[in-house]
Amino acid sequence: MDRTRAILRKAAWSVFTIFFVIILNFFLFRVLPGDPARAGIRDPRLNKDAIEALRVRFGLDKPVINCFETLNPVEFGSCTVNPMETQFFIYVRNLLQGEMGYSYHTNRPVVDILGERLWNTVLLIGAGQILSIIFGVTLGIFAAWRARTKVDYTAVGASLVAWSLPTFWLAILLLFWGSTIGLPVAGKATPGMSSYPLLQQWGDIARHMLLPTLTYTIVYMGEYTLIMRSSLLDVLSEDYILTAKAKGLNTVQILRDHALKNAMLPLVTVIAINLGFTVAGVIQIESVFSWPGLGSAIYEAVVRRDFPMLQGAFLLIAVTVILANLLADLTYNYLDPRVRVE
Amino acid sequence: MQITTSQPPTVPSRPVSGLLSFWRFFSRSRTGLIGFWMLIIAILVAVFAPLIAPYEQGATTSVGIGDIYQPPSAAHWFGTDDAGQDVLTNFIYGARVSLTVGFFAAFISIVIGGVFGLVAGFFGGRWENFLMRFTDIMLVIPDLPLTVVIVALTKPSLWNIIFVIGILGWTTTARVVRSQTLAVKSRKFVLRARAIGASKLHILIQHILPLVLPILVVQAVLAISLAILNESTLSFIGLGDPSAPSWGQMLNFAFGRGAMSVGAWWALVVPGFGIVWVVLSLTLLGQGLEQVLNPRLDTHYLMPSRPAVQKEARAKPIQKDVLLDVQNLSIHYVGEGKAPARAVENVSFTLKEGELIGLVGESGCGKTTLMLALLKLLPSAGQIVNGNVFYNGNDLTVMDEEEINKVRWSNISIVFQGAMNALNPVRTVGDQIGEAILKHEPSFPKNKINERVSELLELVGIATDHLDHFPHQYSGGMRQRAMIAMALACNPQVIIADEPTTALDVMIQAQILELLDGLRKKLGLAVIFVTHDLGVVAELCDKVLVMYGGVTAEYADVDVIYNDSKHPYTQELLKAFPDLTKPKKKLASIPGYPPRLDNLPTGCRFAPRCPVAFDRCHTDEPALHLLQKDHIVSCHLVEASK
Repeated sequence: MDRTRAILRKAAWSVFTIFFVIILNFFLFRVLPGDPARAGIRDPRLNKDAIEALRVRFGLDKPVINCFETLNPVEFGSCTVNPMETQFFIYVRNLLQGEMGYSYHTNRPVVDILGERLWNTVLLIGAGQILSIIFGVTLGIFAAWRARTKVDYTAVGASLVAWSLPTFWLAILLLFWGSTIGLPVAGKATPGMSSYPLLQQWGDIARHMLLPTLTYTIVYMGEYTLIMRSSLLDVLSEDYILTAKAKGLNTVQILRDHALKNAMLPLVTVIAINLGFTVAGVIQIESVFSWPGLGSAIYEAVVRRDFPMLQGAFLLIAVTVILANLLADLTYNYLDPRVRVE
Repeated sequence: MQITTSQPPTVPSRPVSGLLSFWRFFSRSRTGLIGFWMLIIAILVAVFAPLIAPYEQGATTSVGIGDIYQPPSAAHWFGTDDAGQDVLTNFIYGARVSLTVGFFAAFISIVIGGVFGLVAGFFGGRWENFLMRFTDIMLVIPDLPLTVVIVALTKPSLWNIIFVIGILGWTTTARVVRSQTLAVKSRKFVLRARAIGASKLHILIQHILPLVLPILVVQAVLAISLAILNESTLSFIGLGDPSAPSWGQMLNFAFGRGAMSVGAWWALVVPGFGIVWVVLSLTLLGQGLEQVLNPRLDTHYLMPSRPAVQKEARAKPIQKDVLLDVQNLSIHYVGEGKAPARAVENVSFTLKEGELIGLVGESGCGKTTLMLALLKLLPSAGQIVNGNVFYNGNDLTVMDEEEINKVRWSNISIVFQGAMNALNPVRTVGDQIGEAILKHEPSFPKNKINERVSELLELVGIATDHLDHFPHQYSGGMRQRAMIAMALACNPQVIIADEPTTALDVMIQAQILELLDGLRKKLGLAVIFVTHDLGVVAELCDKVLVMYGGVTAEYADVDVIYNDSKHPYTQELLKAFPDLTKPKKKLASIPGYPPRLDNLPTGCRFAPRCPVAFDRCHTDEPALHLLQKDHIVSCHLVEASK
């Protein structure tokens, strides 16, 4: 069936894109001057034997890939080596086995650290997305419905300002404000909470989430408002709205039964595309509030030059965004009858 | 659907040439102007930084511990930072860094994206495939983390940052430019240039680029703001160029070095304000450009229309046995700061049970406006300024929304023209028909709904297995039939058919007309049939109302119209209609266009095109002359001959 084929094609593209990201991720760290492995063993206190031992441990004694010993500086090598004995394929094989190397900073497996942190980020993005979509969409509906009134102008103006706020700056301002009214401003939980009952622990996490989520909501709400407004305006000037009105339906019925679903369809795609951008926001929010997620992992990796962490975190984020895009694509296909049946 | 006044075709839209005319064009957008001036201020501050800044950049000599994080004072308007430097001075110089990054990075993005988009859109084929696939891949890879990775691995110098941001920010531009190129490529003058053998490069630069340019400008504005935001984020997480302190770095230093704990809000608030100012200015500018280049009306069908003008005395229906009695109806479109467009003026007609009246005239003569006004469905700018619409003796024009909602569809329903958009694309046809039934007969048993809908579909000749199909699965003729079925759903007494056959081919047209006529005879419906086709009128109608420029030209029984028409416009329309009895006669079209309703000629509205107009026609508006029972003509000639 055509539909199955379309889904398979999209899925295949996602796999291809992920593969592209893996290649990119590997070679960026080999080609660019700040070679991660070398940076890790550039400590002047190490003697030759120790360096050699480390090189073996990180697999740097092997050629990068067939024909190339190293890529920065470029050193040609044998083209006939077993591909499985090159750094690239070892990297891919390790990835397939769920291995991403060790963090320079904590010496723990990167996968373990990222695994812990992924869920914190998902929690933050989840809460933030839900709130910003709910508020943004609601505001957008009102703005479109009351187009060219004060409600509309205020909503659009506020959205444009919110859109222009640098996320980290808003986070700092909210942190400042939060600290004056006694809200927790750093981390995910108060130290020592683990001995309290579960309910209280959750309450504590929720209190810690308050400011990061608020930041997230304000930053992304504006965009949803603008998109919902313009999408609904388009729908409301379609002829079938006039038909609905001529049928004697009242305003609420028309909005509910004829306008909202149609207007919200494009939003599904936008939400997915937005995920890529929200990652940028999450890095900033988590850094400011020391929220232990992937974003702050990137921040800390940059500050500490912890390249395996940086490499792993980037890969995880990229793959997550690619999969989310695929999911949104499929959801859209499912929701829109025009696509569904064809 | 055409509700607004139609106008003569304008010159094909070529790009506005010349900076001055573009400026005049652009300055219509207030949002854009505000953004523009905000950006100019920021640029001036950056350019004249050494003149404005109260201190020299980086003047940190003789810093005592007491100079650090000093609150705002006369010496330091915005206090000092973690190094004892004047925040205002750094703020002013920071504008240079941010704007430099923004402009140069955006330039790189726009060039790459523009070239990719143009090449992909113009040349198509393998190039397009490759470039667009690559764009798709780059589009889903989150760009800020990638930027962070690359800058972290290379030297965080200013030009490095510019280069990386620029080289990763082209994806949206490529897509937008490609689709614009595709749209432009098939325009007439491009095809013409191709036909006369112009080289591809010539066409690309001379014909396509000018039309893509406006979109590139909008994209550039957005790219600048994105680049500035990205630079500030990079700087904030410690990847800025230490030798070029930007606003992001000021925040990084203040945040990382205890401004929070000593309560030095000025060191945190001021640099962020700069970023917001510049990004907001660009956002507004982008919005403004978008509004000007891609104007949209921001009006929709749910906006409340203006209430009908209160009448001094409530009129009464004249005749008792008529179903619909429209008296002296006048409708204006009222726009801000514009003279009202007199779309319909002083139109009257009556409709009895089982009668079919034809409403004839060219496009833009107010036919649709008149029909929408009957059910108070006018767009928000439309207003009933005079007259009454009596349905069974009740005046519809004074009803409020709740009352009129009961009349709509259950008493009077409409078959709209161009049925594609008149049906909601995401709901099944059966569902949409059933909705009308349930709305007006809430007690209708839910399990019988499908049965009733099937009956209706059968009535108009649609097989019942199409009940659960979506509108796009119907053919054009079927959609029009479905609209008729929907119009019949609540057993109305009056059906308004607004050019129901316009977009259909001749065979289907005939079928639909036959169907309507049959239903009228079978169900005793009264029908108002809006058309510009006099042939249709001849076959079906009892009475004809000919409208021109919003006024009644002639109103009479169909026989009178065909055999004894008095208005030159009616006569001209008849000449434009093939007569089978005189096949050799040449068909005549009426030169010119109907008048713009916001710019009506003085005197008779038809005078400029009238073959027999004389002096008086250009100065005096003709009155409505009642010649005999139910024959009304608005023409000075009639009076002269009386």
